[in-house]
Amino acid sequence: MSERFKKIFENNNPKTKLVSYFVGCYPTPEQSFELIKQAIDNGVSILEIGYCTSEASAEGPVIKAAHDYVLKNGYTLKDTIKLVEKIRDYNREVGILLMGYIANLYKYPINKFIDDIKKAGADAVLVVDAPHELKEENELRDSLNDNGLSLIKLAAPTTDQKRLEYIVKISSGFIYQVNVSGVTGVKSANETDVANFVKRIKSLTSIPVCSGFGIKSPEDAKKVANSGCNGVIVGSTFVKYIQDNINAPDLTQSFGKQVQSFSEVLK
Amino acid sequence: MTKNSLKTGPDELGYYGEGKSAMGGMAVGETLMPALHELNQGFEKAIKDKEFLDQFAYYCKHYIGRPSPLYFAENLTKELGGARILFKQEHLNHTGSHKITNSLFQVLLAKRMGKKSLICESGAGQHYSATAAVAAKFGMPLIGVMGEVDIARVNQNIIKAKHYGAKLKAVPGTLKEAITDAIKTWTTNPDFAYICGSVVSAHPFPKIVAFAQSIIGREIRVQSLEQEGKLPDMIVGCVGGGSNFAGAIYDFLDETNISKIGVEASETAALTNGTPGIMQGMKTYMLQTDDGAKSLGGMSLGAGITYFSVGPLHSYLKDQKAVTYSSATDQEMLEAYKIIARTEGICSALEPMAAAAEVIFRQAKDKPKDYTICLSLCGRGEKDLDTIQEHIGKDFE
Repeated sequence: MSERFKKIFENNNPKTKLVSYFVGCYPTPEQSFELIKQAIDNGVSILEIGYCTSEASAEGPVIKAAHDYVLKNGYTLKDTIKLVEKIRDYNREVGILLMGYIANLYKYPINKFIDDIKKAGADAVLVVDAPHELKEENELRDSLNDNGLSLIKLAAPTTDQKRLEYIVKISSGFIYQVNVSGVTGVKSANETDVANFVKRIKSLTSIPVCSGFGIKSPEDAKKVANSGCNGVIVGSTFVKYIQDNINAPDLTQSFGKQVQSFSEVLK
Repeated sequence: MTKNSLKTGPDELGYYGEGKSAMGGMAVGETLMPALHELNQGFEKAIKDKEFLDQFAYYCKHYIGRPSPLYFAENLTKELGGARILFKQEHLNHTGSHKITNSLFQVLLAKRMGKKSLICESGAGQHYSATAAVAAKFGMPLIGVMGEVDIARVNQNIIKAKHYGAKLKAVPGTLKEAITDAIKTWTTNPDFAYICGSVVSAHPFPKIVAFAQSIIGREIRVQSLEQEGKLPDMIVGCVGGGSNFAGAIYDFLDETNISKIGVEASETAALTNGTPGIMQGMKTYMLQTDDGAKSLGGMSLGAGITYFSVGPLHSYLKDQKAVTYSSATDQEMLEAYKIIARTEGICSALEPMAAAAEVIFRQAKDKPKDYTICLSLCGRGEKDLDTIQEHIGKDFE
């Protein structure tokens, strides 16, 4: 597991970590970097940097539109890895994970991808459509572990007990707890369900749990944090903010305030 | 079935073949994994249940009208002056294509597994209207996902499905977008049954659909022996995802003396022009950018074969050199349509005309008269009449 993740979760400040998802290179690599700097300066502990694919099967309309925008402008996974390198130069403490689909990694291919992201300073990878049944997941997981990096695994509301026991066994870094059955940014998380699910995972493992999907406001974030999870993941809400204010001259500064409104309630 | 058989099917994780070159697998999000495992178990149990299989056979006969005839196309054979051409008349099935056999099988399976609601995707609308018919028959609500481009060009299927009580969800694009969105819709409703229309997507769908459609090849065997006194020398079918062709050849996979040719649309010929990649739940040949970020491929007049990817079974059979794959252009499809309409009085869908073009222009003529070619005519042409009229009127007359 990544040393950096260990440090992040061992530190009691903030009490609950803010994990935020960005579509890498959205709207441009330069703006993306500026927005991410704001996120770091305003209390984000872990960055999920998304790379894009046209057939993303778990993205709701907001993130899909951002993916399509980046693909249309020709930015690739390589550009996103360059972005990670710049972020790491800017800040040594923030956790960085690359998040996306197996399509791009298979073609990269996987061994070269791991070399490149390690050099760039990433800590972990999350591949949405790579369950442990997939050969490429096994290859990716082994190789990440050998390199001191983490493969972040998902646990969903549909995940049965036997699967969950196996998933926590092969997890490293943290477990991404998916709060609702659905695509990103549509359904809202239910407080009681989230709390029960966190409890279910925590009874099996000491690995940190970060809870995501359906967290749309600082109030939601606060409620989810009360469930006892170690981190709260905000994705579509931030991407939508960027989307809605894409032409605003003060986007970078106002986005910083938006992030702060979430990190404040998690201290 | 021996260990060396091509019919042993995928392994328990859905791979056809071994090691790094294996095709298929399960590339979907965690939310759907339990549902896929549940479906696989449900399928394996069901196919050992004689009562279930008898029920499937009963409705195949009385609802669909199976077996579909194996018809000697005498006039076409004479006109080409070479091989003896047989049509496997899948377009005569209820709802007008091979799709209904798979819809029937999967809806019966969903019912057996206690599912209450259905989702499906569709390209040409044949799978949508077929699933809608079966859903109506067995009293289950259905949401179908289709691309807007296809909805506009296969209007008859949309109207029929509406009459059967199905709901349509329109997404921008064609079959590719419909498949991705159907997975999203299923992820949002994981307790629904997803009735996948072809031998594509994550395991166990390629296995289930190939099983349901393999009835086509078993019928060909019986009918050909009875009518012709021998098996066909060649079987040809069109390939989008590849379910009708998989069904036609499956029973003959270990019979190397029978040639098998699958024909894709030249604009989306994944097996001819593609490379292995992983998208939409499966590893298979596909047309995509070198970095794997974007699916590619143009538009064919055949909505049902406008698909940038292909079922993993076909990628495996290509790698094993057990089956030949080729492609046909829109113009060849339209020419083939005209010839078959004129010689045999059959209004075929455009998709199987890709296979017909291969037979008419590249296979039949130089073969001896006792060489038999079985052509899978997997759909009827009503849905395509506007497209056909527009193009034949403009370009050929």
